[in-house]
Amino acid sequence: MNRLHLALLLLIGCIAALPWFGGPYALRLGTTACLYATLALSWNVVGGFAGYPSFATAAFFGFGAYATGVLLTLGLPLSLSILLSLLAALLLAGLLGAVLLRLRGHYFAIASLSLVEVLRELVNNATDLTGGGMGLNIPLAAGSGILADAVFFFYAMWAVLLATALMVIGVSMSKLGFGLACIRQNETAAGMIGLNATLYKSLAFGLSACFVSAAGGLYAAWVHYIDPSDVFDILYSVKPIVMALMGGIGSPLGVACGALVYLGLEEVVWRHYIQIHSGVLGLLIVVLLLCLPHGLLSLRLGALWRRARHV
Amino acid sequence: MLHPTSQRFSLIAALAMTAVIGCGASLARAADVIRFGAPLPLTGPLAPEALKQQQGYDLWAEQANKAGGISVGGKKYQVEIVYVDYQSNTPRAVQAAEQMITQDNVNFLFGAFGSGAAKAASTVSEKYKVPTLAATASSSQVYDQGYKYLFGTFTPNDTLTTPLTEIIRKQAPDVKKVAILARNDLFPLAIAQEMDKSAKANGLEVVYFEKYAIGTLDHSATLSQIKSLAPQWIFITGYTNDLLLVRKQMVDQEIKASVVTMIAGPAYQDFIEAAGQSAENLTSASWWHPAERYDGKDIFGSTENFVKLFRDKYHSEPDYGQASAAVCGALFQLAIERAGSLDHDKVRDELAKLDVVTFFGPVKFGANGQINSLDPPVFQIQGAKPVVLFPPVIKQGELKLGVN
Amino acid sequence: MLTAQLLINALVLGCLYACIAIGFSLVWGVLNVINLIHGSFIVLGAYLAFGLYQWLAIPPWYAWVVAAPLFFIVGYGLQRLLLNRVITAPVLVTLTLTFGLDLILNNAMIYAFKADYRKLTLRPPLGSLSLFGVVVPVDRLIATGLALALTGVLYWLLRRSRVGRAIVAVRLDRDAAVLMGVNVKSIYATAFGLGAALAGCAGVLMALIFPISALTSSSYLGKAFVVCVLGGLGSVSGALAGGLLLALVEGIGSATIGPSHATTLSFALLIVFLIVRPQGLLGRKGFE
Repeated sequence: MNRLHLALLLLIGCIAALPWFGGPYALRLGTTACLYATLALSWNVVGGFAGYPSFATAAFFGFGAYATGVLLTLGLPLSLSILLSLLAALLLAGLLGAVLLRLRGHYFAIASLSLVEVLRELVNNATDLTGGGMGLNIPLAAGSGILADAVFFFYAMWAVLLATALMVIGVSMSKLGFGLACIRQNETAAGMIGLNATLYKSLAFGLSACFVSAAGGLYAAWVHYIDPSDVFDILYSVKPIVMALMGGIGSPLGVACGALVYLGLEEVVWRHYIQIHSGVLGLLIVVLLLCLPHGLLSLRLGALWRRARHV
Repeated sequence: MLHPTSQRFSLIAALAMTAVIGCGASLARAADVIRFGAPLPLTGPLAPEALKQQQGYDLWAEQANKAGGISVGGKKYQVEIVYVDYQSNTPRAVQAAEQMITQDNVNFLFGAFGSGAAKAASTVSEKYKVPTLAATASSSQVYDQGYKYLFGTFTPNDTLTTPLTEIIRKQAPDVKKVAILARNDLFPLAIAQEMDKSAKANGLEVVYFEKYAIGTLDHSATLSQIKSLAPQWIFITGYTNDLLLVRKQMVDQEIKASVVTMIAGPAYQDFIEAAGQSAENLTSASWWHPAERYDGKDIFGSTENFVKLFRDKYHSEPDYGQASAAVCGALFQLAIERAGSLDHDKVRDELAKLDVVTFFGPVKFGANGQINSLDPPVFQIQGAKPVVLFPPVIKQGELKLGVN
Repeated sequence: MLTAQLLINALVLGCLYACIAIGFSLVWGVLNVINLIHGSFIVLGAYLAFGLYQWLAIPPWYAWVVAAPLFFIVGYGLQRLLLNRVITAPVLVTLTLTFGLDLILNNAMIYAFKADYRKLTLRPPLGSLSLFGVVVPVDRLIATGLALALTGVLYWLLRRSRVGRAIVAVRLDRDAAVLMGVNVKSIYATAFGLGAALAGCAGVLMALIFPISALTSSSYLGKAFVVCVLGGLGSVSGALAGGLLLALVEGIGSATIGPSHATTLSFALLIVFLIVRPQGLLGRKGFE
């Protein structure tokens, strides 16, 4: 476990102290921060480690939200529902991964994007189960006062974040991580030295989906009402990528920091630039990609004076 | 110089810190002002609806302030409306509600737009015990959580379809088959389901009931199929753009029927103008209509006065969305003045007790908080003008059959 | 009778879909860039046509004369100044960059034109043609005719003109084209400009038939995606084939399993094609 991994765990530990410093609104922000960091760290497994530009995060986020939501309406307790959606996502993503990860580059990106659309429409049409376009009302999971609720969901999301971070650290230190790095650098060569690329890629895809699904499930329980366009929103796929780009693709610490910085920026922009916030997000993306392609973690303070060179 | 890793780490931490502090700052509270929070989807797909809500709220605030403000136990308070955009995203609506209560220190809340967002955001307002008036939440599911601080000015969806079906059944006995096409979205689908129930309860045969996806560009295949089934009554739900498109494609394919009902297009002036001749004889229902004549005890007084004030300010006809928003403001005003204080519980009790006629119609809330005193009007476009067919007290004309 | 009507609907719609996709296909095939701004360009073209008709009474079938050069210049400039910097970057970067640019353009349009829908209603309205029990609206026919004309012009351009031949050369083999003396940077910008011009003209045609709003840009983009994957990249015939296939699948799907499933079907078909036949019906293998 190297220094950066320790720094990541330390960062997460610091976040846990939030309830001592803030009221319910700050906790709401904190829960969102943990959510974003989970999504970004998970994406990093398939996008950063394996090098496959996945846009499927929203698909599994929505999947988790609906799976948990439906289980909750059927009466199952929260922890069991989330666990089941996590396992279901792991399985589903593993299977889908075996098929979809045979595609490369653009084609894979599009296939993962279409996955979001397909899942959304499937949910939209299963009106009897999911409420379809009318959305799903989820029964209140806990409920004894504003602060207690806020703290509960904050720590639950924080636990998911911690689990994700541990998973990511575990992967990067294991044979799987090494294999993914080989795949990222040269998949054909990796195959030639006997690496079972399909297995590794499926595992990576599965791992990148399961915690996203858990986060989605917790999210559904948190907001009590979800509809397909809310949770299968393509922005849930793009934002983790932007966060990863901001922090530095491949580095878990960078990605997590990117998530926090992104949330901060998003809050500031949302409050002050009501009408043009998506334009500002777009501008941020453009500036980031043209000037800072390796993320904030690659910034050396002295280099701020030097113009970024080609990608 | 610090070690490179620590350098980067501290830079990032500093940025993150600044961002968080930036959000933590709250606004100072001004004296002698009552703040009403209005979370609206000012951007995203629901933006056109949000603009209408904003018009209604602003008109009321302007009128209230012109009259000197709201009188609270003898002292006059100015009205201020705080808008927050939740980007047509329901979870953000919840966040917006909490932000307005905890950071912006609003005294009362208007509900978020639509049943879904209103229900979601109401959990927050209930927890903080802030009285909330929802202007556009019609689904009875919004009010089934036993909340005390939530009220709504739209009657349940079936109050739109039931009178309509009865009128058609009585005055158009030849109508036997109904085709229903609904947009796969909260309100349009809910209303279509009510129509389905209503039709079956009245002995009509529902030969077609399908949903189209949000953002559908082409309905030609669907409409061809409906045409081949030859229903006498075609019932379509969606937002203005969907209905304009469907209507145009119906004309393109020369689909004719005795009765064509669209919800909620014909209630809007811009729909009637854009559809032109093809809007003739379309039927519809909504929660309020400018042709109504009520003599209200609220700040707007009569319906005509409201319509006149609206026309003067915005140079267009008001529809039920703006009217509902404005009446929510007016109802808050009545409740606050009767309570004589800004105390949440006192105002809430006054709202629950209300039994008053307003420009919007008679207002009385049921035990669950949803209004149950309205008779939503059914109307038909005749001669490019909406003509009210129901309720009898404000009836303006008779049903005309045959839509080309 | 119903089948005949459905087929005619699909035929007409298919040509429109092809028109939407052709610019997208060109850019993807030649520059290997997925241009996510395409949908917003189409909507902008539609607004242009609307404005021209509303204030200058220029009907849409002439509006493209204004739209084409305008969009070409914008596209050329955009590529030369911004996209060229990341042309050799991995897929992720270009995709996210165009996503960001699209957010800016989309937000700007909503800010400027407001989100409510406009409808270009022709006065007097053109009505419908009725032949053997099958009804076709005249404005769709005109739009289809113009769409085919547009694809025909592009086809001619790529086959006969010097610039067109250079574009095809770059698409077939970039390095060989450089060796042949083709100024690849300029060709990239030209191709992108051409793609933007085609999007703008497609938008002008769409204004005739569909309501106009910045909120529809993702629907157009989605259609363009599916058409390109189904039909194959970089070729005119591919776009036509893809468009027709998509329209047929949607129409038949709508009639048999209901319209709500038609969208799911088209995206599921997309995934199947990507896995089984990524080059599409008429495309050539060899692009990642």
